[in-house]
Amino acid sequence: MSVSRAAPVYWARHLNKLRWASLSLVFAMLVLLPFLHVYQSYVAAHAYDLLQPGEKWLYDSMETLTSPFVSDPARQLDSVKGTTWSGTLFGLKLSDPLAVLGQVAAGLRIHWPFVVTALIPILVTAALGRVFCGWICPASFIYELNETLSGWLRKSGLTLGERQFDRRGKYLVLAAGFVLSVFSGSILYAAIYPPALVGRELYYVVAQAGFGSGAVFFLGTLLFDILVARRGFCRYLCAGGALYSLLGRYRAVRIQRDVATCNDCQKCDVVCEFGLTPMADGFGQECNNCTACIAVCPEDALRLRIAVHDIPFQGPGHQGHTWRHQQQAGQQEPPV
Amino acid sequence: MMRRALLKQATLVAATGFAATLPFGFARLMLPLTEAAPYRHVTLPGALSDADDFARACIGCGLCGEVCPPRCIRFHARDGGAHANTPYINPEIKGCILCGLCMEVCPTDALSVTPIPKIDMGTAQIDRAACYPWVDQGVCGACVSICPLGEQAIHFELWNQYRPSVLAGCVGCGLCVEVCPEPSLPIRVVPRSEGTIIRHGARTGRR
Repeated sequence: MSVSRAAPVYWARHLNKLRWASLSLVFAMLVLLPFLHVYQSYVAAHAYDLLQPGEKWLYDSMETLTSPFVSDPARQLDSVKGTTWSGTLFGLKLSDPLAVLGQVAAGLRIHWPFVVTALIPILVTAALGRVFCGWICPASFIYELNETLSGWLRKSGLTLGERQFDRRGKYLVLAAGFVLSVFSGSILYAAIYPPALVGRELYYVVAQAGFGSGAVFFLGTLLFDILVARRGFCRYLCAGGALYSLLGRYRAVRIQRDVATCNDCQKCDVVCEFGLTPMADGFGQECNNCTACIAVCPEDALRLRIAVHDIPFQGPGHQGHTWRHQQQAGQQEPPV
Repeated sequence: MMRRALLKQATLVAATGFAATLPFGFARLMLPLTEAAPYRHVTLPGALSDADDFARACIGCGLCGEVCPPRCIRFHARDGGAHANTPYINPEIKGCILCGLCMEVCPTDALSVTPIPKIDMGTAQIDRAACYPWVDQGVCGACVSICPLGEQAIHFELWNQYRPSVLAGCVGCGLCVEVCPEPSLPIRVVPRSEGTIIRHGARTGRR
């Protein structure tokens, strides 16, 4: 009504596609890297003739994939290694801030060269919020597909878990993980943090003896999401999400609602994987700037803005009938 | 009435038993078992010397395994206890080639770059009651020919052709264990502090 249909589509509406491309790329790399590593070890052993047929197939396919780019695969394929928990990206060592926190807890000491590897993720989180959760996390990739699956199951008539818990539960997990790491002398976050599990288990199943116990835990979280609470692990239990929420609390880039163009259609509230309420300006530190709500908004009322604080609740959208009825009843001043 | 009470009691007992065994079974599945095989797990080159310190420093990212050219680095799963997801080497399957890539890639101080002579993964020790050349003067020498450190680490003693003996320069890479053809593995890698008991038989404490 107010926005003319001829107006160009808000550019940020396409960010959700970019986000899915990013999630898919990260996940595909986590699958590909162990295969590349196995291929490298075959190359280094100079033992093509001794390989089993399946191993030869792996060798041949990886050779086809990489031969346009490298001439010496044993040495030149080392530029991207590791997982999102810790890895090297073109010579740059990057680590998850939670890994640093876990190491600090387990040893009760700070190893500065390792802290430095988490500096870039910390700075990015401080500026952009929990973008790791929405844009990079390989577990998020599976959890969102899992959420789609449970949507199909709901459509087919099943009643699935819709429980809601206190969001602060994850800060409790973060604190309890810290304390238990201090007492056990091992980094417990590594065993309960889904992105670390996904990367590690993919590596284990391809290049090592097979799935470890982390896969069992991860399947448990998938069942929890389906049967108990939607996206329950990320919303209520993830220690890394808690840490990123704290780090990104005063992020500089955040989504804000333009109340003049909002028509109270509630699509944003429905699409938000984290159960936030964009239509009521309820973003907070949980919002990971995934931009799914921007992509779904028919009026382009949700905007990416440079701001350190959220706008408090602005009332119903001016294109919605609630606000119109209030206008007619004379309960509010006319719009500026 | 009697039957119903009995049924109720039986259900209660069954529920209690289920509630008691299910967490136990789940715990057995999830929680680590204790390590059963000593001398099979060798630390990585450049690792912190104390195993508990290593578990405190290692974040379990698996990068060391992912750069290892011979893929000798394995990871503790349920067998690891507090060491779950930390790396080890089982030289009976694959020995370390001392290329140093794992030390370079490790983001933490669990592995630190160490020159080869300073590496301490343990030391090889030879059971002279089981090694072919020591027992019946057979011809072997596989361990001596594979050793990447050569004369500093393992050699044939004078007049004892093909009878290997370990020297102080051994860093415990375990390549000799990998190639040893004797099924009972008379050569194995042990911590340096426990080095001399099986190696030359209990009677002689000679290195």
